[in-house]
Amino acid sequence: MGYGDVQMIDEKGNRVDGRKAGDLRPIEIEMGVVPVADGSASVRWGTNYVIASIYGPMEAHPRKIQRQERAVLDVRYNMAPFSTTDRFRPGFNRRSREISKVTAEALESVVLLELYPRSKIRVEIEVICAEAGTRCVGLTAASLALADAGIPMTDLVVSVASGKINDVVVCDLNKEEDNYGEADLPMGILPNSGELVFLQMDGDLSPEQFQEAWDYNMNAAMEIHVMMKEAIANKYGGES
Amino acid sequence: MMGQPLVPTLLRKHLAELAARDERADGRGRWESRDLSVEVGVLERAEGSAKVQIGDTIVFTGIKFQIQTPYPDRPDEGGLMTSVELRPLAGRHIEPGPPSPESIEMARVVDRGIRESGCIDTKDLCIIAGEKVWQVIIDCFAISDDGNLFDAFALAAIAALHNATLPGERFDIGEDRPLPVNKTPIMCSFQKVGGRFVYDANREEELGGDERIHITLGGDDHVHSLQKGLKGAFTASEFAEIMDAAKQRCAELKKIVDSL
Amino acid sequence: MSSSGASDGRTSAASGSLVVPGDKICTETGGQLGHGVMKLDGSIIATKLGYVVEKGGEVSVTPLHTAYFPRPGDLVLGYIEGMRANIWFIDLGAPFNAILPMSLAPMKVEFGGTRDAMNVGTAILCRVQEIDESHSSVVTMKGMGLRKVNSGFVDTVPPHLVSLLSSGGDAILSQLKDASNCRIILCANGRIWVDGEPEGIRVVRDILAFIRNNADSDNLSSKVGNHLKQGNGE
Repeated sequence: MGYGDVQMIDEKGNRVDGRKAGDLRPIEIEMGVVPVADGSASVRWGTNYVIASIYGPMEAHPRKIQRQERAVLDVRYNMAPFSTTDRFRPGFNRRSREISKVTAEALESVVLLELYPRSKIRVEIEVICAEAGTRCVGLTAASLALADAGIPMTDLVVSVASGKINDVVVCDLNKEEDNYGEADLPMGILPNSGELVFLQMDGDLSPEQFQEAWDYNMNAAMEIHVMMKEAIANKYGGES
Repeated sequence: MMGQPLVPTLLRKHLAELAARDERADGRGRWESRDLSVEVGVLERAEGSAKVQIGDTIVFTGIKFQIQTPYPDRPDEGGLMTSVELRPLAGRHIEPGPPSPESIEMARVVDRGIRESGCIDTKDLCIIAGEKVWQVIIDCFAISDDGNLFDAFALAAIAALHNATLPGERFDIGEDRPLPVNKTPIMCSFQKVGGRFVYDANREEELGGDERIHITLGGDDHVHSLQKGLKGAFTASEFAEIMDAAKQRCAELKKIVDSL
Repeated sequence: MSSSGASDGRTSAASGSLVVPGDKICTETGGQLGHGVMKLDGSIIATKLGYVVEKGGEVSVTPLHTAYFPRPGDLVLGYIEGMRANIWFIDLGAPFNAILPMSLAPMKVEFGGTRDAMNVGTAILCRVQEIDESHSSVVTMKGMGLRKVNSGFVDTVPPHLVSLLSSGGDAILSQLKDASNCRIILCANGRIWVDGEPEGIRVVRDILAFIRNNADSDNLSSKVGNHLKQGNGE
């Protein structure tokens, strides 16, 4: 079976898990889940479960990684061995390296790094359970954890992906859809300005489909931003 | 790699003062544990799983299965492997990099307790003798390290094994069935703090403490694994004392695991 | 305060409300900018998670969590982390280490004698003397009460709680001192030196643990009072 051979969306526009094209999977956010960290958050998104923790800002060691004019973000994205159906072998992984790099660059676009010359801020992202879209869940969790640690930022980062199944553009592909997906467009969005700090794409989208996927992501980001603020208000009180 | 954290001189002094009065900084008795909770079936992609929280120490353990070819000298026996991931997520003192000697020691000590207790009969893991057997992989993963990861990992590992299902259907070799687990080995760890051993040392006690001893007991107080770690020397009577404490605590923890 | 007419879709946050990074607090007024805020496209936005404070024309965010950031004059408790022949490296729990030159030590030290005077792990009471643009910072031990700490225990609270602990004429600290019979010195970097009998230190550490666990709740000061009373009643 290949692309398009499996019916993933019915005539009424219902997806395999009952969602409509623009619907997100259920999302649950919890702040402060790693007691020993300077800041932390977990995000359950569908059956994705990602935990992010922050240490620092601290003196950057070794000295050669220090920057005289700003802090460095030391970001690690990693999959736990039990996070996937077939055991994920620990150790060096090219995919994890790439995701760590683009995640760091996305976060560097919002963190006020120039306030902490010569320092390092560690951002640790661990995928405990993977479904589809772990890089988006990881980036979203990391921005929440940074806020939790009191790291100054110009905005939170909300990350979400849309894609295409059976030639239909849908928001937030789940695992089954991802397996037969024909395109994937993950974005990292600043909810207040609508700017992008993270963008990837693979697959095949017509110009119209691309615009549709883009719009789904923008709308979803606003929806998720509200959930993020609610989760923070739930933990720390106050009317957000 | 574990960083070499700064051990404040005052901390060791303070711990010694408390020890002289038979007290602990958080008010616990010598053999008293922090609050402990165990949950099973918490990881959707694992065939068995557990989350253990002891004070602010939090760990997950997931069980995965693979099919492998048996060793020629043991054609009808499956395999068992334990791995510990000390990711820098879990503490400021944990540095990124390849597995540290500390994490390898933890994995091997947890592994020995489980293996030597015989709680898994490797013959139960045979699919086709000489051709196909199950390999059980126990993955221990730290979320938050506030001390005594050894006990947290060992407890999560045995709880997760009791919770595990052999995924026959996924590998097209028959129905799913529960993993047979015959016993409940339990590890108890003690650390010398301020000159005397205490049970369940927290991170501060670990930082300002000396040698540690890990005891894994099975049914009827049989010993299955021992490990002395870190710098320090202890006497036979000190060991006898902690062995008594271990017997009592292991029985309590065994009840908790068996009731899950 | 509330402001209307946000043109960029950002909503405004009233004084006392909880904000997250990126939230608009108000349109730019020309007033002073305090901690945890910045100007962006004609608005004042929050850069930290915390509560909006508007006082005397200055807008700021009191952060829920924050790292200690040294300022000249701060009384801090540091640990010796390393040394060379004529300086010590001091960990202040800050984003960068500080140095203590031999000339600012409380005792006479010969060149090459730094380790003998104060070894790694030693706790010191010192003051931040200067911080330059690239965050090289210097601490001094010349001054009243600045010295090597040889007894007692050093506990910590998150740095953002220091102002709370020292507010109201040291209300919480005085309660602590009375209840424990200990000498307590609260430092700007969230480290607290407690000196006295072990049971007194235990009382203080118990209360500090309570404070850490309830740091996010309102009315902490009176809760600490209640907790102390309960402790004494036992």
